[in-house]
Amino acid sequence: MEELDSKQKSSTSEYVAIPKRRQIRLWKKFKEEKLFAFGCIILFLSLFLAIFGPWISPYDPNAATGNVSAAPPAIWDWPALFFQTVFQGAEPPHWFGTDNSGLDVFSRTISAPRTDMVIALLSALASMVLGTVLGLIAGFYKNFATEVLMRISDLLQAFPVFITAMILVALSGRNEFNIILALCLVYTPIFIRLTRAEVLGQISRGYVEAARAVGNPQWKVAFKHVLPNSIVPSLIQLSTTVGFAVLLTSGLSFVGAGVRPPTPEWGLMISLGAPQIILGEWWQSIFPGIAISLTIFGYAAVGHGLEEDYR
Amino acid sequence: MVRRFVVKRLLIALLQLVGISIVVFFMIRLLPADPVARLVGFNASEEAVQQATESLGLHYSSGQQLLNYVGIFSVVDEPGIINGYLGKSWVTSEPILHEVTRFLPITLEMITYALILAFIIALPLGMSSATRPGGAADKFTFVWGLFAGSQPEFWWGILFVFIFFFALQQAGLPHAPAPLGRLDPLLEAPNSITGFILIDSLLRGRLDIFFNAAHHLMLPVLTLVFVVSGPIVKMIRQNMIRVIRSDYILYARSAGLPPRKIAFYALRAAMAPAMTLTAIIYGFLLGGAVPVELIYSIGGIGEYSIRSIISFDYPAIQGTVLVIAMVSLIIYLALDIVHAMLDPRITF
Repeated sequence: MEELDSKQKSSTSEYVAIPKRRQIRLWKKFKEEKLFAFGCIILFLSLFLAIFGPWISPYDPNAATGNVSAAPPAIWDWPALFFQTVFQGAEPPHWFGTDNSGLDVFSRTISAPRTDMVIALLSALASMVLGTVLGLIAGFYKNFATEVLMRISDLLQAFPVFITAMILVALSGRNEFNIILALCLVYTPIFIRLTRAEVLGQISRGYVEAARAVGNPQWKVAFKHVLPNSIVPSLIQLSTTVGFAVLLTSGLSFVGAGVRPPTPEWGLMISLGAPQIILGEWWQSIFPGIAISLTIFGYAAVGHGLEEDYR
Repeated sequence: MVRRFVVKRLLIALLQLVGISIVVFFMIRLLPADPVARLVGFNASEEAVQQATESLGLHYSSGQQLLNYVGIFSVVDEPGIINGYLGKSWVTSEPILHEVTRFLPITLEMITYALILAFIIALPLGMSSATRPGGAADKFTFVWGLFAGSQPEFWWGILFVFIFFFALQQAGLPHAPAPLGRLDPLLEAPNSITGFILIDSLLRGRLDIFFNAAHHLMLPVLTLVFVVSGPIVKMIRQNMIRVIRSDYILYARSAGLPPRKIAFYALRAAMAPAMTLTAIIYGFLLGGAVPVELIYSIGGIGEYSIRSIISFDYPAIQGTVLVIAMVSLIIYLALDIVHAMLDPRITF
């Protein structure tokens, strides 16, 4: 019954009060659910590294050090090494070893979010904004143009995702900007569909009619009244989409259709380290792999938590 | 009724394919890539560039190129898509259809086994977690579904190579073969009947090839099963929980039906959406298994597509996208029919 109440309230003009309650609910969830808390920590860590990663890394992620293919120090030596570096001013060790060009794997692993997270966040945000606006229009106005829009969006979704992204990036030039554009094209239809379905559910509600009856112009009803009530599913989808965008970005770089070496990027690092792994030099691939694995899991956990909260 | 449904869906699929081919055709021509320069090299003379452009048919307008490609009002003496001809590769000069039919079954075989296995594993996991919600099995299944469903398959592929090939070999234990193809270098694949190497080798009575191929397929399939089972488990679990709470299961219970029978009813209803999801994943993997194919040097359609994309081989790119889209649409259609058979509420 309580759930029903909050839903009904959110559809009246009182929705301003809801975000606060949702914040409290989410804080409670953070304290009680380990998985959600874990996801949130990963989320903040990834954002922190995206901003500060290259600045706090002990070595330049793009410049070779003299040590080629150095193994990482044993894990039980880490506390002593950490103490020496921080308090006695010793040269920082290669925590994760170095790769076969002499690049410090640790520095590159924590600098990579600057590439991966920025691409993923920007593409996910751009496709959310674009998809939400287009979905709102498609749900609100029913005419030939929006019908065409939906058919195009259907068509885009029938494309093989990975191959389309490879084509777009490889043929337009392998750089960050083109990857963002390609991911945006791939993810926008999802948001269009999501928002449109939500808008269609909202449009027959009383408050929409009321907003119209008092003389609001159509666009104002759409953007000021319907949009805030139908954006939540897109916001939830955003977390999941960021995770998958990281996956796709690194996958593209892995197969050679993403960023160019020596850009610090997890997928590229894994791919460059792959041939070394059968020679026993596991650290070049394994550490960035753990980073990417945890990151995507974290975003999925947050996305799941938000979705559960919304239901 | 069924026939009408199938015909209607086939028509829609056909329209979609036409749309996809046109979009891909113009998309790759709109992007700022220079296939001629890639083909003749950057130091080539003006005449060489001119000649290459003409031999590729790129000196026609885009519209005319499309007509040449489709095969209506064509001004070149090659057949078009209308005649079932996808063009010739610019790199190997082989007909695209030959190359695609050679590489496609390799990928199909790998992902078919992976999805069948994933489904078989996911079914009991999802069911057991739904019958005792909140139990240990349920918690494990839930975390597994969330975790595995969001993992980079290429990293797990490399991890598996490290563990099951390198580490086991170092330890002197039986280990997986090196990730260098579908068979040991000295063995030759049997002549293709179905294109599936396991089935072909059995049909030709070559048990040695069968076991060798199975050994080589083990790790790539394991990698895909690991990643793909996540979403399927999640789907089955969610649906089982939903179905078990529904009225008709309550009715079946109060009518005194044995639990095994009730579980079967619930499973039937919960399986349908899971199978739809499996079909979607199948379609995704057709073009999305590229990293796994590269890691294990499988040489399937994914490797072929990345090769043609990087060498700007336009006809090959168009052909691959078209064939992959076609196969996935056929699979979606087949699954929809199965879906309707499983779920009596769906009518055509």
